[in-house]
Amino acid sequence: MKRLEELQTCFQGIIPSLIATSSADGEPNITYLSQVYYVDPKHVALSCQFFNKTRRNVSENPYATVILQDPLTFETWRLQLRFVRAETEGALFDTMSMRIQVIASHTGMAGVFKLISADVYEVLAYAPVEGFLMPPDPVLDAQAPPPIAGPMTELRGLQLVSERIARAADLDGLLAETLAALDECLGFSHSMVLLLDECTGRLVTIASRGYGAEGIGAEVAVGQGVIGMAAEKRRMVRIAGMGGELRYGRAIRGRVAELGGQDKLAPEIPLPGLADSQVQLALPLLSCTRMVGVLAVESRDPLCFDEWDEAFLQIVGHQIALGIDRMQAIEGESDSSTAFRPRKDGKRAKRPSSGVKRSFVYYKNDDCVFVDGEYLIRNVPGKILWKILRQRRDEDQIEFTNRELRLDPTLGLPPIKDNLESRLILLRKRLAEKCPDVRIVPVKRGRFALELDAEIELVEKEQA
Amino acid sequence: MASISRELAEFLESGISVLVGSRDARLLPEVARAFGARVEAGGRELTVFVPVATAERTLANARENGRLAVCFSAIDHRSYQVKGRMKGVRAADEDDRRSIERYRAALAHIYGTVGMPPRLTYRINHWPAHAVRLEVETIFLQTPGPGAGGALGQPRRGKKT
Repeated sequence: MKRLEELQTCFQGIIPSLIATSSADGEPNITYLSQVYYVDPKHVALSCQFFNKTRRNVSENPYATVILQDPLTFETWRLQLRFVRAETEGALFDTMSMRIQVIASHTGMAGVFKLISADVYEVLAYAPVEGFLMPPDPVLDAQAPPPIAGPMTELRGLQLVSERIARAADLDGLLAETLAALDECLGFSHSMVLLLDECTGRLVTIASRGYGAEGIGAEVAVGQGVIGMAAEKRRMVRIAGMGGELRYGRAIRGRVAELGGQDKLAPEIPLPGLADSQVQLALPLLSCTRMVGVLAVESRDPLCFDEWDEAFLQIVGHQIALGIDRMQAIEGESDSSTAFRPRKDGKRAKRPSSGVKRSFVYYKNDDCVFVDGEYLIRNVPGKILWKILRQRRDEDQIEFTNRELRLDPTLGLPPIKDNLESRLILLRKRLAEKCPDVRIVPVKRGRFALELDAEIELVEKEQA
Repeated sequence: MASISRELAEFLESGISVLVGSRDARLLPEVARAFGARVEAGGRELTVFVPVATAERTLANARENGRLAVCFSAIDHRSYQVKGRMKGVRAADEDDRRSIERYRAALAHIYGTVGMPPRLTYRINHWPAHAVRLEVETIFLQTPGPGAGGALGQPRRGKKT
């Protein structure tokens, strides 16, 4: 028979598990569980989010029966348990609590829906429920053979990813190459990198794969959702069976709203990425003790990431973080050797002749820039854009250096590790998507040009 | 004794998940999947269809002490739990089988909407089955969240049938 730890796919919560208990006076009770967590070969832990009948029952009569199901095969297991203790702190509690917080923050219920305790149960016995499924039909239930995969192919993939990270010449190339390699070599076809903006404390999507251009610039607060939680806790977070758990969270949200607690609920945060995502994995990008951002991958297949994937994604994550650090170090060096020289040749910048006019509005209260009435960018990249557009209009300046941006105190760049390069990448990509006739084009390291194919009109407003 | 309203009966008889809880003389709990339910006697009784293949312990427990809990749960987690005592058990007949088959089709459809291949749902053992009739004592709202487990209304007094 399988060992308890071999029931990993059942523990992922893709098919909700069930628990049956009985009160001391013999009244049975059944309920669904949001999480059954494997602790060790003799113990599992169940999440307690509300003091309910199950909890009352096991305090009177410690026996419980849990039904687990394998989401792929529907193989069904009966676990006979005895309640041992409720943990309200420690590693087990933290791990289970993080998962609950992720679901809570995705459904706008942070603080309402939380883990009260990690209830540890001794596994007295476990066995498959015999006869739950009828034998498969040899024709109708025939399955395709599983694809050939294994450590060797994945190790080879890892090697290719690593090579491409090492070869990258700049930050944009590093991120694009890494995500492409993760897709082509390892099959992670929906991925994104978010970098931490230390000015705002938010994570900003700087590169993505599999979502088109639209996700660039999407923000997540640290602590919010799968991605924000990975950043806050500096730990990998994997949420499988998302559909099921989000439905569970939304059921609770619905009940809170019905009971008049609407004002406690924050607006629901839409999950960035796939609308029908079944599993999402986010890992912090750590360089020494600094958290530079988060790598997030997701899939429609709830079982596509296993512990092996987690292991090699961690390796890739470390390499990306070190790569980002390397890029920033190079950027700093080149900066010192690139002195800014204002135009002295007396030439005017070439006026665009396309006849197209673009109207930019800058809102001073939140450093937000709109183009032709549509949101473009905000915060530091917004201020940078406004600065270079004005210098282009007023002084005909075409080329700009990173150094002059760093020396401008009004932009509010932090004195060290300012992520300037990533802010410029974000600005360049947002312009390419929303306003392709205004372009930021790298000239050489530490220097870029602002190219215009349109007349620009600049308007400043105090607030929207 | 509580009774199931017509509106609630409609929900309980739809293709939602039906689970039957019981316990033995040592208070060890047990759970079995049922293939549908039928509300009877104006909402005061409930018949659930449990497969012979997987309900052996449930039936033994019900015969030993009669105490049953039936949990109904939709895919959005809207849930109710009906508690009561077994009044009788018989082999499900051809008429019951038709309603079990209808339930199976509805369940496969609903599970299909959340990614469960219908072929797999159709493989769950469902026939032959026992028809277990119970007298409804209490009904609880079981949707997860604050107030989960609260009884629906007050038990009705008097008026024995």
